[in-house]
Amino acid sequence: MIGYIIRRVLYAVPILIGVCLFTFVLFYLTTSPQDLARRNLSAKNPTPQQIKDWEHTHGYDQPKWKQFVRTTEGLFLFRFGKSDGVGGQRIITRIKQSWLPSFEIASLSFIASLLVNLTAALVIAYFRGTYFDSAATTLCVIMMSITYLLYIIVGQYTLGRLMRITPVGGYLPGWQSLHFIMLPVVVAVVAGFASDTRLYRTFILDEINQDYVRTARAKGISESRVLFIHVLKNAAVPVITNTVSAIPGLFLGSVLLENFFNIPGLGNYLVDAINNQDFAVVRANVFIGALVTIIGFIMTDVGYALADPRVRLE
Amino acid sequence: MNVSHPSRHLIFSGRYALILAALALLTGCNNSPYSVSQQNKKVLYLTLAQDVNTLDPSIAYDVDSESLTELIYSSYFRYDHLKQNPFQLDLSLGAQMPVVKPVTYLSTQPNGTKKEVNGQLWTFRVRPGLHFQNDPCFPGGRGREILGSDFLFTFRRMADPAIPCPIVSYFDQKIEGMAAYEAYNRKRIAHHQKTDYSYPIAGLQLVPGHPHMFRILLNQPYPQLRYLMAMTLTAPLPSEAIQKYGAKIATHPVGCGQFILKTYVPRGRYVLVKNPNRPYLTYPSTGMPGDRKAGLLQDAGRQLPLVDEVQFNIIPEGTTVWNEFLQGYLDITGVSQNNFQQAMPRPDVISPDLKARGVKLRKVVSLDINYYIFNMDDPVVGGYSQRARLLRQAVSMAVNSKEEIDLETLGLGMQAQWLTPPGIFGFNPNYVNPYRQFNLQKAKALLAEAGYPKGIDPSTGKPLVIYYDNSAVNAQGRQALAITQREIDSLGINLVSRSWRNAEFQDRINGGRFQFTSWGWVADYPDSENFAFLLYSRNKRPGPNVSNYSNPLYDAVFRKMRSLNDTPQRAALIQQLTDISAPDCPLIYTSHSEAYGLVQPWLLNYKPNPIALDGPDYLNINMQMRTHLRKSWNQPQIWPIVLIFGGIFLSALPAIGVVRKRSRRHLRRDHTGAAQ
Repeated sequence: MIGYIIRRVLYAVPILIGVCLFTFVLFYLTTSPQDLARRNLSAKNPTPQQIKDWEHTHGYDQPKWKQFVRTTEGLFLFRFGKSDGVGGQRIITRIKQSWLPSFEIASLSFIASLLVNLTAALVIAYFRGTYFDSAATTLCVIMMSITYLLYIIVGQYTLGRLMRITPVGGYLPGWQSLHFIMLPVVVAVVAGFASDTRLYRTFILDEINQDYVRTARAKGISESRVLFIHVLKNAAVPVITNTVSAIPGLFLGSVLLENFFNIPGLGNYLVDAINNQDFAVVRANVFIGALVTIIGFIMTDVGYALADPRVRLE
Repeated sequence: MNVSHPSRHLIFSGRYALILAALALLTGCNNSPYSVSQQNKKVLYLTLAQDVNTLDPSIAYDVDSESLTELIYSSYFRYDHLKQNPFQLDLSLGAQMPVVKPVTYLSTQPNGTKKEVNGQLWTFRVRPGLHFQNDPCFPGGRGREILGSDFLFTFRRMADPAIPCPIVSYFDQKIEGMAAYEAYNRKRIAHHQKTDYSYPIAGLQLVPGHPHMFRILLNQPYPQLRYLMAMTLTAPLPSEAIQKYGAKIATHPVGCGQFILKTYVPRGRYVLVKNPNRPYLTYPSTGMPGDRKAGLLQDAGRQLPLVDEVQFNIIPEGTTVWNEFLQGYLDITGVSQNNFQQAMPRPDVISPDLKARGVKLRKVVSLDINYYIFNMDDPVVGGYSQRARLLRQAVSMAVNSKEEIDLETLGLGMQAQWLTPPGIFGFNPNYVNPYRQFNLQKAKALLAEAGYPKGIDPSTGKPLVIYYDNSAVNAQGRQALAITQREIDSLGINLVSRSWRNAEFQDRINGGRFQFTSWGWVADYPDSENFAFLLYSRNKRPGPNVSNYSNPLYDAVFRKMRSLNDTPQRAALIQQLTDISAPDCPLIYTSHSEAYGLVQPWLLNYKPNPIALDGPDYLNINMQMRTHLRKSWNQPQIWPIVLIFGGIFLSALPAIGVVRKRSRRHLRRDHTGAAQ
């Protein structure tokens, strides 16, 4: 397994270089350093000299290949540099400031969603073929058709304005953060409930018709034990695939949630950078996103091997 | 005998305890986005849509950035909070009004020769005993006294080519020796050397023996300097802070205003607290007619600021802002497209719900002008021939400003007749620009007179094509574009849109590669000169005179006007400028922007000021009212959650029955060993 992991890590290098190149090309296709300069210079109509000075200060006057090599080298060494915005804040400083709120929301949503969705899927599977199953599946389809934005607005209205038990936005550090992340976590769980529950139900139903389940029932094992012990363990592989792919989100934050609930996390950092055409920050965020995704995939593979003894990583 | 097991009691009592704990937790919950420690403090809660660009006073020039820098930094002057028509300058750090003396001296020209010029010498005096805020950049961490040299350091820094100061062009050619200083340092930077702040500038002078005084020598009369001295861009900066923090001054300001920055959470909030070293300033004792009746003079004579803290919450989403305002957690909010219908059933009328809550509606006309521009160098639409003039007049009369305001900005805006907006000396409310009255019939007649009957270009026999260069990339921009096209196409002209990326658009405009475009200008200071110079030929592209309008008569009157103080003679000259430029139609003046604000009932002294952003210095809060209303508006309601969980429980009852039935079936099979 160690050899496999090392090989996957080595494969990651060209992938990351490719991601950097793609981002670089995309940047020059959609905007230009002059655009960045104009956006970041506070004058109403900056002079050509001011634009030139800005480009020089931020290294955009160098040949493009040099810019690419310099910035990519920095990313691989985790030297993310400074923002292109006014003031030029160090990107790593901002990442250190912003990762925790994102992580808090994402990890709590992740755990709560996993528990709620798996339990719900098992319960629905327990009543398979009944009216309850049909009703629950229909409800899931309806819930899947509703846009995420509506969950946020309804969540803010219901818990914040109608029941008045959570703030509609904001964030304070420490224990006080629980007060603020409750609503985004509830929204995330409710919004993700339908699709995941339906998916897990399918995984579980695939297992329920297997011979070993029939054998367990024939031996007189209770239905709940069959479901929660035997079936759940064997349905774990596809569940792992689905859940581990969500891990990068734990670090990168949720753009919509953070934006609406006013959470000072990494998701917002990326959105601001895109809106302000802060290429330095976008570049660093895309690189980190790619890196975390690759790590997530490796973890998925390792998870397979741990969950299913038939899987061998070679 | 049916004997219940003790563990069963425990399980049930545990469940009840859990339910009770959950209920207790819910009842203890509240929707306040602020910590308990803040609740009894006099904190003013405001919002920003995003983190500000910079807190560097030499660079900050957008509304959001200046909303903070104007509280953290203080300048020589500040605008009176109440007297706004006309705007009045009050002393802030200044001890006296500057003494302006006309002088004739030999000025050094860029080629090294000397030329006699008639300039002005301005002498300023800073109030003694004022200190910068406490900061580690000073010895012992205690802010040192503010001296005249600090103002001069600010001017040197603004002219530093490495600092993108937005207003440097307003004075670098006027202060004696500043252009040479800039040129010298530009060369140093090109050779990767640091800016030399010690390079002499003859126009920036200290007064020996008077550390609180400084002088500025101008090579031409420039009365507008007084307005520049009210901008935070010219606020004194301690050189110690620049040496210690460098570019980090953008997030670590060291000022001398009423507040200091205590906390900055990126994408979270800015918290400003009272500056212990703040200059002693009091709430104005006099205002405009009606201010006393409006309760705006209740705090007259009290020391500023009137609140302990100002917290700017960074909230990008309008929905969240609106919800927090309705909950009473924000003291002021704007009216946007998101909440327009809920806030105002029709323009200028607040909704009954908000009125019942005591919320007040305030409207402010911005000091700006929106307009279309003809390129006066263009062979078709430009020039000063009668044909071109008639064509521009025709297009101008086809543009329906009222319709544009109604459709594009929900009726918010005032139709413009010329450049100067209301509130600025020289604005004539009775003036009607004959070429800015929408009249399609007359416009068509003028077009025919210009030689384009029904918009047909006789040289081609087809509709006259005018290219409209713009940077309309979003939905709002495209909507505005469609309206403009419809208006001008109604003449029979074919208006062809050319949309560009911003940088390319700016390059085309600066390079004069356009026929027709749209633009806007916001006041730097409340003086007609700041608007009339949009047609002054010395300000041609890439300067603010984007049309490249050039009229010697206009220039002569402009030069005379700009050197005068606000007198009837000056007002007459401004009217003369209007009359000279109106028939030429180099610009099509459309609107002066307007904005609505909603103010909570407990907020006192609120009077929007379109030129100054230091309002929080003057605002006060009726804490008793705020606490009471917030509490009554935000009583937690548990019944919906009981209803939801009750509903879930009831709907799950049949399922629970099925589970129990199946379990019993298994049990029976287990005991008897026979299949049931």
